[in-house]
Order: sequence, then C-alpha cells, then structure tokens
Amino acid sequence: MAAHPSPVPVPILRLQGVAKSYGARGLALAETSLEVQPGEFVSLVGPSGCGKSTLLAMIAGLMTPDRGEIEQHGAPVTGPGEGRAVVFQDAALMPWLNVRHNVEYGLRAQGVARAERRRRAEEALEMVHLAHVGDRHPHELSGGMRQRVAIARALVLRPEVLLMDEPFSALDARTRTILQDELQRIWLETRPAVVFVTHNLLEAAFLADTVYLLSAGPGRIVQRYEVDVPRPRDEGDPRLVAIRQDMLRRMRSEVERANVRDAGGGAPGDPRVEPVAGLAAQ
Amino acid sequence: MSARAARAGDLARRTALVVWRRSWLIAALFGVWWLVTSRGWVSSVKLPPPGDVWDALGRGFSDLDLWNAIVATLIRLAEGWAIGAGVAVVLGVLTAASPFLEDGIRPLIAGLQGVPTIAFLPLAILWFGPSGAAVLAITAFGTFKPMMLATYGAVRQVPPTLRQAARSMGARGLFFHRTLVFPAAIPGLVVGLRLSWSFAWRSLMAAELIVGGIDGLGQVLERGRELNSIDLVIAVILVIAVVGILFEQLVFARFEHWVQRRWGLEQAV
Repeated sequence: MAAHPSPVPVPILRLQGVAKSYGARGLALAETSLEVQPGEFVSLVGPSGCGKSTLLAMIAGLMTPDRGEIEQHGAPVTGPGEGRAVVFQDAALMPWLNVRHNVEYGLRAQGVARAERRRRAEEALEMVHLAHVGDRHPHELSGGMRQRVAIARALVLRPEVLLMDEPFSALDARTRTILQDELQRIWLETRPAVVFVTHNLLEAAFLADTVYLLSAGPGRIVQRYEVDVPRPRDEGDPRLVAIRQDMLRRMRSEVERANVRDAGGGAPGDPRVEPVAGLAAQ
Repeated sequence: MSARAARAGDLARRTALVVWRRSWLIAALFGVWWLVTSRGWVSSVKLPPPGDVWDALGRGFSDLDLWNAIVATLIRLAEGWAIGAGVAVVLGVLTAASPFLEDGIRPLIAGLQGVPTIAFLPLAILWFGPSGAAVLAITAFGTFKPMMLATYGAVRQVPPTLRQAARSMGARGLFFHRTLVFPAAIPGLVVGLRLSWSFAWRSLMAAELIVGGIDGLGQVLERGRELNSIDLVIAVILVIAVVGILFEQLVFARFEHWVQRRWGLEQAV
C-alpha cells in the first residue's frame, strides 16, 4: 500500500549490482540490486556477516562499492551527505557537546545561522520528546535517550533518506519497543525514505513496507517481502508474526544449504532471488 | 541531622586512613634520617640532620632568593613546554592525518627517542650560546617528543563511528578537524600534556644544572655543590620534588579527572 503510492514510482535510491569484498577474506556482499521509493520504509534483515551494514555504509557514502552503482535521484552517490542522514548503532554522539549542540552539529557543518539552528534543533528534540534535556551531556543520558538524540540529530537535517544501522540493538527490550513505536510515529509524520538495518526479524517486519532478507557468506538478498499491514501497527499483529515465521524458515534453510555446501556436498546453489509479493495479503 | 554528622565523621575517618596509608613510609624515612644523624651513625658532612636542611631551606629563601629561582624555573618551564607542546600537537595531528608523513616521521621519532634529550644540550649551547635560550630549547625539545607521540595516538584513537557520524552530517576539511578530531582527541592530549610536563621538568633541571650564569633551581643546586653545602643541596632537591608533586597531583590530576568526566569516560560521581 504505502510502497506504491503512485502508478509509476520514481526510485529515490537505486542500487545496481553493488558488491563489496573484505580485502583478502572474500566477498562481504555479492552483487545486490534494489530500489527504494520516496517515502518507502525498507528493512534489511539478516544474520551477522550478511553485509547489511556494509550495504548501508555504501548507501551513506561512507564506503565505496567495489562494483556496481548507487544512485540517488539518478545521480551517483560519491560521498556522504546530500539528503542522506545516518543513525548508528551506538548513538555516536559527541561527548563534549551537550544534547542541543549535538543535534545542531550537522546544521553547523552546513553553515546554517545560529538562530535557525537553535530553532530547528528544538523542533527535532520535541519530535523525540527530549526538549527538556537540551543542556545535558550524553553521558548523563540513558542508552535509549542517547539513541533518541541520535534520531533527532538525523531528523534535523530533514533528510529524504534516513539510514539506520541497527539503531535499537544495544537497547533493552522495553526501550526497544518504545523506540520502535516512536520511530513509526515519526516516520508517519515526516515521511522520509528509510533504510533500516537490523538482525531482529520482527522489528524488520513491524517497521517496514518492504523487507529484504539477506543471507551470509557472501551476503546476498535471498527474499523480498512486502508488508501490507496498515499503520499504526502492533507488534503482536498475526500478519507480522506470520512474516517473521516465514523469514525464520527461510533463514534456517539457508543455514542448512550453507552447511551442505561447506561439507563439500553438491554444487553451490545459485543465490536466487525470489520475490514473493504481498505475503501478508495471502 | 545525626545521619549527616555520622556521614561526615565517616568521611573524615576515611580521609585520615588514606593520608596515613600514603604517608607512613615517608614519615618513617624521615624518622630514620633523624635517628642516624642525631646518633652520629652517619657523618654530618655526608648527611646533615633534618634540622640543618630545614635551616638551609630558610636561608635559601631569605639569602639566595630561592623564590626568584623557583619563579625563573617555572617561567622557563612554561615557555619551553608551551612551545614544545604547540609544535607537537600540530605535527601530531598532521602525522595522524597523512599516512605519507606518518611513514616518514615515525622512524625519525623512534630514533630521537633513543637519545636522551640532555645529550642535545651541547648542540643547543653551540647554537644559542650558554644562556637561558639553550635551556629553553632543550625543555621544548624534551616536551616535544612525548607530546608528539601522545597527540598522534590520541588522534588515531578517535572512534571511527564518531568520524563517520560527523562525515555523514557533512563535516569535512578544516571544520571536521576543528570540531571533531581535535575535541575527540582531548582526553588523550591531556594525558600527553601530563607526560610531556614531567619530561620537560627533567630536561629543564638537567640543563639548568649544566648551563651557568642563569637564574633557576638547577643553578641553586649547582651553587650548593660548589659551596660544599650538602644541606642546601638536599633542601633544593626537596623543593624540586614538592614543585613536581604539586603540579602532578593538583594541576594535572584534577584537569585530567575533569576532562574524563566531561567526555563521559568515567561515570559522574
């Protein structure tokens, strides 16, 4: 539903045959292609070592692909910035700056005037319900609050693409659930395109319009899911749980296939991509 | 009320315990010193009793202008240290930013590390004359080596995710270095400042002992040797130790503690 708002969607991000190796250790990510539409929420989910964070870093422009192309609005991505903001796993706030100055940092880098910076930072902090801690320093905040500041710091740039690299994986389960709900709300209010990396299957399904399931060794997309569940969603929604079960099954069979391959039995199976549209609608 | 009083009493007890544990050996050594000199077990020509040293200290402050010597030494220290540390920070940042410069400079630094700073004093005297300038140069140079290595290490240890975060928000070039690399390196730089201060202090003392005709604690020490005045020599050594400890404990330890808290490297108490 949300994934295809117009008859002929123009992708905001287009990845064509993107691949990356870890030097001598082989391929981190096999040739991968995908598109992200404006305002679409995409999750990349998979086990560690499947190259999902590498893929995100390349979209962010923090890493260069060995092969393939990444385009934003048809123009090649050559570096960080330009409408793409990143939220990292460990908030990565600057410890010497207070919360407000942390949120203002990107605006400062872009040369936005002080008064405007202040105003937009307040606005972003209000969006994550942290307007009252602007004067505190990161080490005085809980992990969940730090991650909210990191989200505010990305939102303040009004990105058209929000890139999130396992942003909630270091948080406890309760905080994680709260932040997932908040992210859903913020996304509904601001509607950037989001690429959200996680290893949590339910989280991926809960948040996304489209989930790409990746498999390791080398990382590649093994399945694409469209999550056709209206928002606001509930994590207990049986349709989301059904998608999670299917992803789990798929991941298990990938592991078995890898074991067979590593044991020397059989030919290495082609990493086939089988798009299964609208599983939830079945 | 009584709970608070009890807490205060508890704190006083703990403080007293800490003071006792950290001073018993020094007190014992003073006791032994007093004992062996007062009983005449050691010749007072070789080791004067504590009272004589105390008198020499008093004479030093009144006749020999020990205050002026301390001030002259500290000014020289501050100047040499500032010059050495300033150059070291700039070079350290550049080295950490450029692999080419790094490859060139590291073997050079390793080579310099192998030579005690004071070995360069004859060279400094030939270049700058037997004056305060030569001493200053040696102090700056003694500061430079540890500070440069500390700066390089501090910059290299800036967390990669912090760098990525700043870059992802569009920080680059001078802005990136001014607002991210430098502040992120400050905890490491502070450690470097303390380390380089103690190196500077040692180089300075050695140089002041050798270069005559200048003010400073080293020269007072040298005068004590010339006058065969062991009590004065010991008194000045004590002064040097006290100055060193004051800076180390009061200035640097506090500054380091403050920075670590501010940078969230330790939990706020």
